[in-house]
Amino acid sequence: MSLIEIKDLKVHYPIRSGFWNRVTDSVKAVDGISFDIEAGETYGLVGESGSGKSTTGKSVVGLEKVTSGSIMYKGKDITKKSNRKSLDYNHDVQMIFQDSLSSLNPRKRIEDIIAEPLRNFEHLSKDEEKLRVLQLLDIVGLDADALYKYPHQFSGGQRQRIGVARAVATNPKLIIADEPVSALDLSVQAQVLNFMKKIQREFGISYLFISHDLGVVRHMCNNIAIMNNGRLVEIGTREDIYNHPMHIYTKRLLAAIPETNVSRRAEHRANRLKVEEVYREQQDKYYDKDGLAYPLVQITPTHSVALPEDLAEQLKHEGEVQA
Amino acid sequence: MEENLNRHSKISAADLERLSKEAKGEATPSSAKIIWSEFKADKPAMAALIIIIVFILFVMIASLFINTPKMMETDIMNYNSAPGTNGFLLGADTGGRSIGQQLIVGARNSIGIAIGLTVISSTFGICWGLISGYFNGYIDWGMQRVYDFMMMLPMTMMIIVLVTIIKDYNAVTLTLIFSIFYWEGTSRLIRSRTLSESEKDYVAAAKTSGTSNFKIIFKEIMPNISSLIIVDTTLSFAENIGVETGLSYLGFGLPMQTPSLGTLIANANDPNNITQYWWTWLPAALLIIILCLSISYVGQVVRRSADASQRHGIDA
Repeated sequence: MSLIEIKDLKVHYPIRSGFWNRVTDSVKAVDGISFDIEAGETYGLVGESGSGKSTTGKSVVGLEKVTSGSIMYKGKDITKKSNRKSLDYNHDVQMIFQDSLSSLNPRKRIEDIIAEPLRNFEHLSKDEEKLRVLQLLDIVGLDADALYKYPHQFSGGQRQRIGVARAVATNPKLIIADEPVSALDLSVQAQVLNFMKKIQREFGISYLFISHDLGVVRHMCNNIAIMNNGRLVEIGTREDIYNHPMHIYTKRLLAAIPETNVSRRAEHRANRLKVEEVYREQQDKYYDKDGLAYPLVQITPTHSVALPEDLAEQLKHEGEVQA
Repeated sequence: MEENLNRHSKISAADLERLSKEAKGEATPSSAKIIWSEFKADKPAMAALIIIIVFILFVMIASLFINTPKMMETDIMNYNSAPGTNGFLLGADTGGRSIGQQLIVGARNSIGIAIGLTVISSTFGICWGLISGYFNGYIDWGMQRVYDFMMMLPMTMMIIVLVTIIKDYNAVTLTLIFSIFYWEGTSRLIRSRTLSESEKDYVAAAKTSGTSNFKIIFKEIMPNISSLIIVDTTLSFAENIGVETGLSYLGFGLPMQTPSLGTLIANANDPNNITQYWWTWLPAALLIIILCLSISYVGQVVRRSADASQRHGIDA
C-alpha cells in the first residue's frame, strides 16, 4: 500500500458576481488528479505557475479545503478535519514553504520556531526539547548560536534550512516541499537540496517535491507528475519523462531547461523554436475543446499520458517501433 | 526519532549546558532592552517618560492625602483668590475651592478614567479585530455587521442619554459607558492588518505544526502587529483623556462634586474667568497639553523600537 493515495482530487474556488453575489462559476485550481506517493521516495510535481501544484500540496498537508475526491492515509480520508485530528496527521506530514522569510514568524526566536511542532505533538521536558532543537540545527548545518536569534538575522539559505529543520522535527513520514529552493540563488539551491537528500537518507522521509524547475526535479525525484491547468498531463519515472516525453506540454517544458553549453547555442535555440512551433500547430490535438488535458492513458506500467485514445495508440506504436 | 537524531548528530546531552551558554552569548537583545536603548537615544522622549511616570505617581499618592468632600466645600470668603494668597498656591475658583487640590484629584480621576477606558476598549477592540480578521468568512461577516451597527449609533448623544438615565453614576460606570462605544476604531484597524497577516506563510506553518487557532491568533499574529497595537493604544490613551474632559466640559461627564480636568476647564465657560481669573482653567489646560504630548512622544519611541529599520538607538 502506498503512503498517500490521492484519488480524483478537486479544489474549486467559487466565483461570485451579480447583484445577489451568488456563485456563478468556479476556478478549477485542481480538477480531478490522482497519484500515489510511496514511502521513502521523492515524488515530483511539475508545472507552470498557476497550474495548481501548490494547491495540491496544500490539500495534501491539510491547509486547503478540498471540493471533492479523497486523500487516503493509513486507510483514512484526511480531507476530513476529524480524521486529521484523530490520526495526529500533521505529526506525520509536514511542509517546507517557498518563501523562507515569511514562513518563519519574524517575532519568534529560532528555538521557539523549531520547537513549535515538538511542543504540540511531543511533550518533552525543557532540556530534552532544547537538546532536540540543537541536534536538528546541527543536522542542517547551523551552529548553536542560532538558538536565540531571529529569522531576519539569517541568509536565505540558512532560513530555508531552519524551515527544513522545523519540518523534520517530529520525524514525519512525508514532507511537502513547495518550491523549497526557487527563491534561492543557484549555489545555495544545491546546498539546501543536498541537505534535504541527506535528511531523506537518514530518516527515510518521503517528499512531495513541487517545482517548476525541471533541472532540480531531475536531481531530486524518482517519479514525476506533470501538471497543466489543474490536470495531470503526464506521469512517469524520471527516465520516462526525460527520455520519452509524450505530451507536447512536457516536451515544451523540457525544451525550456537552459543549456550551459555556449558553443551549441544556435542549435538549442533552433530546437526550442521547433518545439514551440509544433506546440502551436498540434495544440488542439492534445487538448479537448475546452483547452483542458484528456484523462490519463497508460502507455507502459510506469508511464501514463493524457491523450485522446487514437493518438495514444499511434504514439504507443511509434514508441515500440523506436524501441 | 530520538535514537535517529542521536545517531546522526554529534551533539549529545553532555553538550547541552555549554551550547546553551554559547547561544546565550550570541542572543539578540530582548525587546525590553531595545526599548530602553531607544529611550536613551531620544532625550525628549526620555524627558516625556519621566514626566508621565513622576506625574502619575505624584497624583495617585498625593490625592490619597486630600479629603475630597472637604475640598469641594464652598468657601465664599476665598472667592477667586489669586495664586499665592490665602494659602492657595494656585489660587481658588468661584466657590473658593483650591485649584491646586482640585487639579491633583481631578487629574487622578481623568487619568484613571482614561487608563480604564483605554484598557477595556483597546482589549476588546483588539480581540474583536483579531478574531474577525483571522476566521474570515461567516464569522467575520457577522462581527462586521455588529460593528457597522455600533458605528451607526450617534456616540455622543448615546453617552449623554445613558448618563442622564443612570442614577448616581460615578467614575467606574462612566468608564464602562464610554467603553461600549470606543472599541470600534481599534477593531477595524486591527482587523485589516490581521486579514493580511493571516495570509502569510508563518500562519500556515503554525497550522501544520498543530498549533490551535487561539494560540495562532494571540501568540503568532498578535506579536506581529504589536507596533500597530502600541501606536493605536498610546494615541487612544491621549485621545481618551480628551473624551472624558470634553464631556465634563459640556456638563455630562463626572458629577459636579467629583473634580476632573474637564470640570476645571469648564471654568472657562465664564467670560470673566477667561479674562480675569485665568488661574481657574489655565493649569488644567496646560496639564492636558503636556500630558498628551508626552504620551505621543513615548508612543513614537515604542513604535520605533518595534521596527528595526526606524531605530535611532545603538543595539546592545
